[in-house]
Amino acid sequence: MPSRARVLVLVALLLLAPALAAAATPRILSARVVAPSELRLRFSGALPRADAENFRLTTAREPDIPIAVQQVRPAPGNRFVLTFAQRLMPAEHYHLELVSPPIRREVQPSPWALLLTVMIAAAFINNFVFTRYLGLCIFFGVSKRRDTAIGMGITFTLVMIATAMLSWALDRYVLGPLRLGFLQILVFIGVVAFVVQFLDTMLRKTHPVLHRRFGIYLMLITTNCIILAVPLLNAQAGSGPLEALALAIGSGAGFALALFLMSCARERMEYARVPLPFQGLPIAFALAGLFALAFMGFSGLDFFR
Amino acid sequence: MSLNVIQPRPKLTGREIVRIVLSMTGACLIGAAVLGLVYLGTDRYRRAAGEAAERQAIRDMLGLDAAARVTEVRQFLARGARRVVYRAAAFGDGAGRAHEVAFTLDGALAGDRDLSTAAPVPKDLAPLGRFFVATRSGGTRAQRGSGPLAGFVVEGRAQGYKSPVRFFVAMTPDFGIADMRVIETADDPGLGAEVAQDWFREQYVGRTAEEIANLSVTKDPMPEDWKAALVALAKRAPDALARHRALLERERAKPIYAVTGATISSRAVTEGVRATVDHVRRRWWLLAPRLEGQL
Amino acid sequence: MSAVKVAGPVPRARELILNGIFAENPVFRLALSLCPAVAVTNTVMNGVLLGVAVLSVQVLSSVTVALTRRWIHPRVRIPVYTIIIAVWVSAIDMTLQAFTPALYAQVGLYVKLIVAFAIIISRLEVFASRQPLVPTFFDGLGMGLGFLIALVTIGAFRELLGSGSFAGIPLAPGKPLLFFALPAGGFFSIGLLMAFFNWVERRRTRGATAEPARAAAGGGHGA
Repeated sequence: MPSRARVLVLVALLLLAPALAAAATPRILSARVVAPSELRLRFSGALPRADAENFRLTTAREPDIPIAVQQVRPAPGNRFVLTFAQRLMPAEHYHLELVSPPIRREVQPSPWALLLTVMIAAAFINNFVFTRYLGLCIFFGVSKRRDTAIGMGITFTLVMIATAMLSWALDRYVLGPLRLGFLQILVFIGVVAFVVQFLDTMLRKTHPVLHRRFGIYLMLITTNCIILAVPLLNAQAGSGPLEALALAIGSGAGFALALFLMSCARERMEYARVPLPFQGLPIAFALAGLFALAFMGFSGLDFFR
Repeated sequence: MSLNVIQPRPKLTGREIVRIVLSMTGACLIGAAVLGLVYLGTDRYRRAAGEAAERQAIRDMLGLDAAARVTEVRQFLARGARRVVYRAAAFGDGAGRAHEVAFTLDGALAGDRDLSTAAPVPKDLAPLGRFFVATRSGGTRAQRGSGPLAGFVVEGRAQGYKSPVRFFVAMTPDFGIADMRVIETADDPGLGAEVAQDWFREQYVGRTAEEIANLSVTKDPMPEDWKAALVALAKRAPDALARHRALLERERAKPIYAVTGATISSRAVTEGVRATVDHVRRRWWLLAPRLEGQL
Repeated sequence: MSAVKVAGPVPRARELILNGIFAENPVFRLALSLCPAVAVTNTVMNGVLLGVAVLSVQVLSSVTVALTRRWIHPRVRIPVYTIIIAVWVSAIDMTLQAFTPALYAQVGLYVKLIVAFAIIISRLEVFASRQPLVPTFFDGLGMGLGFLIALVTIGAFRELLGSGSFAGIPLAPGKPLLFFALPAGGFFSIGLLMAFFNWVERRRTRGATAEPARAAAGGGHGA
């Protein structure tokens, strides 16, 4: 080869060397927990030693107790399958460490999956009306007809989101640092009243038609237990902003769903022959009881199992 | 019930607006002040009541007398430095001496010092959990694996069918189960919440550490005589052990009978108890030589 | 017992209290503040704790408003009532947390939610802002007692049938009808008890249709 070409090849190799080295260093592309006790890893680059001592898995909550590795099995597609002596929970947060090469990796479900779980839990598994029995004050009053139910559901969800986020921010950045936790109830109900009043005034000035339709629901929301329960639950659990938002959306959606189902059933009830003592509220309670029984069926709903 | 006045409202004068704003602000401030006072008055009682309840529970679960010493060991994680820090101090004593021991995540000693209980916890230490170690005051009760050590009480968690289950496990000095109590479960009554019942949790009591490590759960229905015996044993009558000796021998080696219709919760609690015992064992093996003087 | 009118001569204490328990019982007749009626009545003790909490908040708020109504501007009376109720609820919440922690742990969230109850603010608006101190005190007491008795009744019904015990003391072997300990059972219990009260009321006022129609139409204004 002419000497100039040799120099070019050498320079090219020098420039590409770091990239080649990086490509040769194994990296973990994906780590997934597969129930009941497997961890599936996909690597790029050369596979590390397939040795139980090479891997160390701990939960985020107990980082000093490694979970015993039973078996390390290579799999096609540059993967490893690790089997552990103990059940692994797909919803749990784990730390994975390799000794050689020294790689550290967090194994946890995606934040979107977690948020979806919170939303589904708030709407179905722990439905605020049928499982936590909150919001009944308004529930029986507004669920007599389908269009009032839909109107209330939409209004409530929107107000719920605004109130929950504002309350969360106040609790996290004002009440918490100043250790004024005992003022929570006062502050949260104040936020509710403020949001309701603000929306009412704004709606009256900008959209009189909408105000005529939805205005009455706004006033009723202030005495709805759910509107206060969600900020309290968020504060109690110390949720982050996304979890607070997910709980607000889920609870609003769950309430709207409960209202809608109940209104459909109650419209049908108007054609039934109800005994005189049961007419009105008592039979509505019995209906709610049947719905609550049905919602118990959502108990074990879990995306990750 | 109509809260809004229907007739047209007269316009507010400037003076009235000022009066309204002042009265509302005044109401808020007075309210906040009242709450502050109530908070200061009740906070002390609340914490004292919480501590007293925990101390009573520890004494009940381990069968201790009032003179026994309870040491609280709190665990922290120094994230950046990858160290686990333990602080041991007499439970409920805000003014005594505490002992702090630090280990790396692999179990090597990284620090050992005395300090005052009132010393604040540095910001970079995240709390991980705590457990209690009880020592007798040189009493006359004899127990297996004797020595002044009376046992451990740890809180454990497990994921039930619908919601987490929190429980306390009390262990003898050689890590057999002295008592087990479920403190919180939000599962359905009659199904997952049945794990809190006497007859279910009493199945764990009396098992040795080896039995717990290899414990399994069976879906077979529990024999009625064994269930009645478990309820009687849970009441801790002095002659209960003698009366039910035959049943104990028959059932002790068998796996845990799951709650009918709540196999997942039963398995979760069993696994949780196993993990709790195992973890305390490992940590105590590291800590024991370092905490001799503190206990 | 006919409903007490607020205009006219000041009502006597005994009438007020009986009114709160029977004719205008917040749960069974006015159908207000139903959330805790289902939530905390799985045992009698939970119902007692929340009933006592509501009684205290009702009496204290009514008395506070009766004492300070001169300084409350009519345009902002609802927000001020809300502030007063919130303050008393927080105070009662902290007190219960400190002195009855074991019981409080089960009903903690619902004690905090008392501030959203329509019954308390409606009593303030309808009675406390117009009547002097002593009748207001007895009216608050009557309403609170009515609420407490309603909760204890539902709690006893559910606990006896669902868990076979009363206030924690086991009476029946096992659980006769576990269904009543579930939330669905709570809804059914209240429906049954309401129907029962309606039937009793109709028989007592046979011929007069005004009273029973109140509860039947209670679904119309659930606020």
